[in-house]
Amino acid sequence: MTDTLRGAAMPAARPSRIDSDRVAGLVLAAAVALPLLLFVLLPVASILKLSFVTPTGLGFGNYIRYFSGPKFATVLSNSLVVTAVATAITIILAYGFAYAMQRTAMRGKRLFGLIALLPLFAPSLVQALGILFLLGRNGVINRNFGLGIDIYGFWGIVIADVLYSFPHAYLILAAALAVADARLYESAEMLGAGAWRQFRTVTMPATKYGVISASFVVFTIVITDFGNPMVIGADFNVLATEIYNQVSGQANFGMGAVVGVVLLVPAALAVIVEKWVSRHSYAVISERSAPLVPRPNPLVDRLAMLYAALVSLAIATIVGVVVVASFVTLWPYNMHLSLRHYRFEVQNGIEPLWTSILVSLAAALIGMVVTVIGACVVRQLSPRIGRPLYFLSVLPAAIPGMVLGLGYIFAFNNPANPLHVIYGSLLILAICNVYHYHAQGFLIATTSVKQIARTFDEASTVLGAGLLHTLFKVTLPIIWPSIVSIGVFFFVRSMVTLSAVIFLITPSTQLAAVSVLMLDESGNQNQAAAFSACIMAVVCLSLGAVQLLLRYTGGKGSVLR
Amino acid sequence: MLGRHSRLIGAVAALVLTGLAAKAGEITAYTSLEEDDIRVYLQGFAKAQPGVKVNVLRLSTGDLGARMLAEKANPRHDVIWGWAVTNMVDPRILEMAEPYKPAGIDKVNPAFKDKDGRWFATTGYFAGFCVNNEILKKNNLPMPASWQDLLNPVYKGQIVMPNAASSGTGYLQIVSLLQMKGEDKGWQFLKDLDKNIAQYIKSGSRPCKMASSGEYAIGLSFAFSGVKQIMEGYPIKLVIPSEGAGYETEVSALMKTAKNKPDAKLFLDWLLTLDAAKLYGERAEMSSVPGAKAPAAVLKAGLPEDVSKVLFKMDFDASARDKDRIVSEWKQKIER
Repeated sequence: MTDTLRGAAMPAARPSRIDSDRVAGLVLAAAVALPLLLFVLLPVASILKLSFVTPTGLGFGNYIRYFSGPKFATVLSNSLVVTAVATAITIILAYGFAYAMQRTAMRGKRLFGLIALLPLFAPSLVQALGILFLLGRNGVINRNFGLGIDIYGFWGIVIADVLYSFPHAYLILAAALAVADARLYESAEMLGAGAWRQFRTVTMPATKYGVISASFVVFTIVITDFGNPMVIGADFNVLATEIYNQVSGQANFGMGAVVGVVLLVPAALAVIVEKWVSRHSYAVISERSAPLVPRPNPLVDRLAMLYAALVSLAIATIVGVVVVASFVTLWPYNMHLSLRHYRFEVQNGIEPLWTSILVSLAAALIGMVVTVIGACVVRQLSPRIGRPLYFLSVLPAAIPGMVLGLGYIFAFNNPANPLHVIYGSLLILAICNVYHYHAQGFLIATTSVKQIARTFDEASTVLGAGLLHTLFKVTLPIIWPSIVSIGVFFFVRSMVTLSAVIFLITPSTQLAAVSVLMLDESGNQNQAAAFSACIMAVVCLSLGAVQLLLRYTGGKGSVLR
Repeated sequence: MLGRHSRLIGAVAALVLTGLAAKAGEITAYTSLEEDDIRVYLQGFAKAQPGVKVNVLRLSTGDLGARMLAEKANPRHDVIWGWAVTNMVDPRILEMAEPYKPAGIDKVNPAFKDKDGRWFATTGYFAGFCVNNEILKKNNLPMPASWQDLLNPVYKGQIVMPNAASSGTGYLQIVSLLQMKGEDKGWQFLKDLDKNIAQYIKSGSRPCKMASSGEYAIGLSFAFSGVKQIMEGYPIKLVIPSEGAGYETEVSALMKTAKNKPDAKLFLDWLLTLDAAKLYGERAEMSSVPGAKAPAAVLKAGLPEDVSKVLFKMDFDASARDKDRIVSEWKQKIER
């Protein structure tokens, strides 16, 4: 497309640059594809092939048995309905929140930004416990006001999953709303468009891609989540708990894999729909853009702050009540303050916390590099190669952690696999975390990259810069704040995630989230809450440290935006 | 920037090679025993065999089973230690175990060991109801004493029970009732009981915790979870059903693929010593090794002095053999 331009502008440099670009392009494509094949496709394929293993040999027996089972239709419709409702609520809530953060001049942004991410770095147990402490049959609200709320079941799962997926949606939507071209708004204003019309004709179209990505991510998170339905779902069964029943309850990998395949279908559909809708999305930042700086508007800012405060309050209360409970003698019977739950009676005591930090740092570093380069490269490639790579990049969102974790065992505990040396190491834990959350990181990066006009890259190319040079000198600096938040995202997820890594830990690589689970399983809910509080404290301190480091090194980005 | 990261990369790379090969004087045990019990038992073993270090991986019963089956191509552990017998008798697991008769195996009751020597039990646990005194009083409910009592309509919506499809505890409860009453009467009983059940919980220990936090009056669980919640200070009374309690034993086994068999055998031998039995008395509600004695605090929490009198005699072969059928029947007849 730009060959003539290039040829005209830089005739002398042309041959060597084209060659080095082609080589760089191929190398980058391979560098993005290979790890995805190794760490996503191989493990998933090795477990999904079990869905064809039946006692009488290979075949579709498991599928026939599952689809003709009595509960199949109920469980499938349960899953789809609860997921659709939770996704709609999350996207609306998170869009409003991200809008308030990025497009208004309200005060308290730093605090709100931190609170919005809280569910991301609270171990899943904290949310479930928090909701029950507050809204359970014997929770604070029912005990004091006697409302007789019964939280268990459909609405319990919706509330818990909205909370759980809110920060994921917020991060993507914040990236979408972070950049905007002020000139568009100026023109709209000059043409007499009111605030609503500006929102509808300028903001919405420009953030459409972010909304679709966020919907996809939330949809897959909710449909694959089994933690919340287990604790708060009562007898409302969903696909993800079916996998747990089959694999952990009955040691039946074949049937578990069948349910895994069923789960992949809606997720794969979501990817296709997303691609189809976003084909017409266009870049927001072009070479003539002027950055949008939110102008103070007392009424809007106050409303935004009220909204952000309400959302933050809801999130902080759920997490806060668990932290409070960790400091009382016996919630809710003996409310005297006590530190007794902070003497951790668990193997290795507090030591797994340090292991978790190391693993999380590694995951943050690997995750940042892998997803940002992935997003940039996928964008540069022709659709023929780009689309499958894109699909592979977001596929992990559709894979329940339990399936991924077991898949890693099948793939890497195999002496025939040259990579089997990483099995049992800390590195495999970090890698597993990166690919477990790859879709989210990749979509934050893609959302940012998408908004940079291709003309930017082309201008850079015209001026003689190669692909790599463009990447490092143009693309990366523009999306730097998003890169930092991707690193933060991988760090905090790795600190608390459980479902996949639980199958990969070894006696010498114990993680903090596992200690929380063990304390809870052995009946020490309060100690589990206390250990969770320690994890959250570490994450908050680390975020503060990164923030300081950024400021010290002169970076403008904020970890929390 | 690069310098800062290269140090990290170095640290990570160094850790890549940790925890891989088995070393002499070290064994790896996979277990589902409780964390605090593991610590006490290992201290005891360290006194007897200071030269052998035991690396322990602890996962819940079902997760550990999934892990062992997934690792089957290249097992990483030398011994299975304290794992539910119902899961152990899965043929896919059994074929990984090497027959071994540890010193002292003769003292163990035949019901607690495999006739082919592939596993033996050291400890066990049995069904118990966790009843929340405060909630009972608040709702003016009588204290139940048996499974039969639970059918009383006053308990409607106040009982939580583990889900038999996802929880081994749940399966054990229903299979003990089916064996006790015969299948026809047993299923009818479960249907009647279903009218009073508020929720089927997907984990076996959670019903007791839900009773502890006062969400429901009665949590059907295992005796040890009740004992622990009582010692933690919750207003819980432990009720052992008067018809006889279904139970589960925790068994140990030697892996055919063990990388350090001599030390693994030393460990298995120790599990049946008098020293170990004394610890079982303090930590577990039942022990297969003579010489265990429960301490006062545990008896005070409601454990009977002679456990054998409250147990229902389970047929483990039948319960393992029938598992698929019973679970799918349960899903059809009872699950909501």
